[in-house]
Amino acid sequence: MRDSIPGRSGRKPTFLLLPTESVNFFYNIVLHLYNVVICYPILTHSLLTLCVCSRFNYRSTHYMVQNGFYNFLNWFDERAWYPLGRIVGGTVYPGLMVTSGTIHYLLTLLNIPIHIRDICVFLAPFFSGLTALATYFLTKELSSDAAGLFAACFMALVCLNTISEIPPFSAAYISRIVQYNIEALRGEMVAMCAVPGYTSRSVAGSYDNEGIAIFALMFTYFLWVKAVKTGTILWATLTALAYFYMVSAWGGYVFIINLIPLHVFVLLLMGRFSHRIYIGCMCLSPWIPFVGFQPLRTSEHMASAGVFLLLQACAFLKYIQGYLSKSEMKLVFFLGLVVVGGAVFVGVVVLTYLGYIAPWSGRFYSLWDTGYAKIHLPIIASVSEHQPTTWFSFFFDLHALVITFPVGLWYCIKNINDERVFIVLYAISAVYFAGVMVRLMLPLTPVVCVLSAIAFSNIFQFYLQEDENGTKPAVSTDSDSDDSPASNKNLYDKAGKVRKIKVSPTNREDPGLGSNIRSIVMVLLVMILMMFTVHCTWVTSNAYSSPSIVLASYANDGSRVILDDFREAYYWLSQNTAPDARVMSWWDYGYQIQGMANRTTLVDNNTWNNSHIALVGKAMASNESAAYTIMRALDVDYVLVIFGGVIGYSGDDINKFLWMVRIAEGEHPKDIRESDYFTDRGEFRVDDQGSPTLLNSLMYKLSYYRFGELQTDYRVPAGFDRTRNMEIGNKHIKLEHLEEAYTTEHWLVRIFRVKSPGNRPRIPYANRSIRSRKVFITKKVSTHFYLGREKPVVFVSYPLLQILHKFHAP
Amino acid sequence: MELLYSLPFTVLEIPNLKLKRPTWLRQPSAMFMYSLVLLSYFFVCGGLIYDVIVEPPSIGSTVDEHGHTKPVAFMPYRVNGQYIMEGLAASFLFTLGALGFVILDRTHSPTMPRLNRILLVSVGFVSILLSFSVCWVFMRMKLP
Repeated sequence: MRDSIPGRSGRKPTFLLLPTESVNFFYNIVLHLYNVVICYPILTHSLLTLCVCSRFNYRSTHYMVQNGFYNFLNWFDERAWYPLGRIVGGTVYPGLMVTSGTIHYLLTLLNIPIHIRDICVFLAPFFSGLTALATYFLTKELSSDAAGLFAACFMALVCLNTISEIPPFSAAYISRIVQYNIEALRGEMVAMCAVPGYTSRSVAGSYDNEGIAIFALMFTYFLWVKAVKTGTILWATLTALAYFYMVSAWGGYVFIINLIPLHVFVLLLMGRFSHRIYIGCMCLSPWIPFVGFQPLRTSEHMASAGVFLLLQACAFLKYIQGYLSKSEMKLVFFLGLVVVGGAVFVGVVVLTYLGYIAPWSGRFYSLWDTGYAKIHLPIIASVSEHQPTTWFSFFFDLHALVITFPVGLWYCIKNINDERVFIVLYAISAVYFAGVMVRLMLPLTPVVCVLSAIAFSNIFQFYLQEDENGTKPAVSTDSDSDDSPASNKNLYDKAGKVRKIKVSPTNREDPGLGSNIRSIVMVLLVMILMMFTVHCTWVTSNAYSSPSIVLASYANDGSRVILDDFREAYYWLSQNTAPDARVMSWWDYGYQIQGMANRTTLVDNNTWNNSHIALVGKAMASNESAAYTIMRALDVDYVLVIFGGVIGYSGDDINKFLWMVRIAEGEHPKDIRESDYFTDRGEFRVDDQGSPTLLNSLMYKLSYYRFGELQTDYRVPAGFDRTRNMEIGNKHIKLEHLEEAYTTEHWLVRIFRVKSPGNRPRIPYANRSIRSRKVFITKKVSTHFYLGREKPVVFVSYPLLQILHKFHAP
Repeated sequence: MELLYSLPFTVLEIPNLKLKRPTWLRQPSAMFMYSLVLLSYFFVCGGLIYDVIVEPPSIGSTVDEHGHTKPVAFMPYRVNGQYIMEGLAASFLFTLGALGFVILDRTHSPTMPRLNRILLVSVGFVSILLSFSVCWVFMRMKLP
């Protein structure tokens, strides 16, 4: 526990405070790492087996460490996207792999032998510590030291929670999420959280881009604020470098490149243009092409170029202002405005028309026009992370901070300056984006931490500054150690200036009431912080206890039931199929099959090729013989479907089926029509009123194969689907071109083998041109073997069989 | 230089205009900006974008065991689903809590009479406490 740390007790000379708090703060970070090390055995043994999406990153990192960086860039992965393959080096953000590779290289250089896997496991906690550090520095620049400490603590609590918070959505509550499971992209993250002073539980194991990207984001912002404040080239260059790192790590860099020009632009509008900003921008802009040529050409990045031009114009005008008289200046200004504005507009239009500037990519277009993705981009709209956010997600992720966040905003707007303009803009845009997509809650979290920290530290400053005058407020410091460093800090830091002006009237009027109010307020705030901490811990433990690959549910008596069907199926695949077998499944399970079963997949979570996914969707949505043609063309050996009808798991393939249909319809509008899969009344039903197209589709047949014989509960008829609460409509499913290969214990994962075509093609009797009237039946077998209308069973002796084989052998 | 400027005006006749900067165009006050921001925060937190895209009903309804339809304000057990009124109520509480904090901050002005101060402090308290506890209850209702 951190109670033993000095810094809480009474009064100390000012010079002692800062070191103490730094110690306190660094202790926090050390605590992170320490907890992680404690968790070591758990980590290495269980986590990487659980982390599936990380599995892909780990596989890439492993490849990079073994084969070198340049080979990694040229790496062609033939196991994914089966007939096409995937150029991993070109389609992945290499920042994560390079980071862990560099750490590995440095450690090896120091003769510390360590496996790359261990680095991958510990990278997330390490970077979360760094994130807290970066947040501390940013908040310190914006407000005060105390607020910085607050922000770091919040960050340690929340952001790391948020990075890992997606699993509760996917795992604990997935059975209630009917739409699409969020785990598709990153279901495996495991919590990494140290709750300062309370629970020293902290787990690691997430190995994903977001972990380092949030650090890069905060660090870039810190350097940018620093550059704006000081106006030196050094900071600006560092900003550019941090930005470069961010670009290599995560696609969210677009947020930075639009936010910084916006900041500059607003500063211009507010008449706060200054030499320092100019220098900052001058240094930043030339670095942008460093990222590659794409940033110069897509419209998303036009903002930065435009603002850069505007800045040049502004600086030029300022420059010539000194040489011209006022009236001339006006003329030059307006003339220049019209000419330059017109030229830029025409230029952009012409370049777009000629194709030099790419139009907005769909994902970003959907950020502005929120209905766009629903209509035009089913593959983007189908991912649960891209769903719009409800109020609950806000409250669940941020808890108390969602309320204190506007308060921090209030303090920032009240005393505005250059860098606070930045944080306000960041806050507003991030809130909007977080409202559009659940996933963009991630960049919102740091700013919420920063602003809430400012709010809390300001409030504590107001209510604690009078301590020296007499009664000490009853702050229950045992309950939360977050507030104590900040409050102590405020006792000494700014009290001297503020007290004289503001608080002395209070004291003169009613000292008793004042102190009462103060103590009540303090208790209230500490209570809120406590609840917040408890909530964070609860979320973390929930996230940790149920990683999405293992489903946990509670039985009637409260005991926990673990459904380990996924791993069972993947293990079966890895043991019982040929090493080069191709497994067709919907793309959500691509990384899992690759990582855990080690088999080739057709589509995976990196959804770069829409038409290929549409082809798989078409195969799933069409009837069996049409699907067989597609599957033969794609060399599919096994088909894997997820079926939740037995246990009531709602994230299964039937519930996702409409998305498959929609995506397939986008590419093959002649063959697949969404309306065919609905009943006449526009419902999606799997019972006997459902549309015949649905009841004969491959996905339906594979999911419900043999399900008609199964009675899950004595109260319901056989073939009762517990997810959709219906009795299925097609109970006697016969498969012609596929056969069941494996079904897991709870029927969650079903694997089917695609039969190879027969040696002799069999033509149905009706289609034959020569129709023999008499069917020759051998008389060697007595007639009582003829069972009903079935074909006669012919017994062939073993030597005869061998002779026959010789005839058929090529 | 002078010649260059006067060049267009050999052709054009200068109209007799008086252009004034409109009076309403000035930098808005901090409070105004803040209320704008808070308003947008209120809407975004209430899931307005969700409402626009998904178009849920404003209030749901269920059928109880007697066959009567009764209204349900909260979409239970659904983490990423909501009704319109539910989102608005929750984000109203968020905003209420934030305003409570701001009110607490405003009580510091030294010229305020005592009664007002007590009133304001209690209003701030009540709104903060109310918003926290009700949000907690809401969350309990939503969680499975």
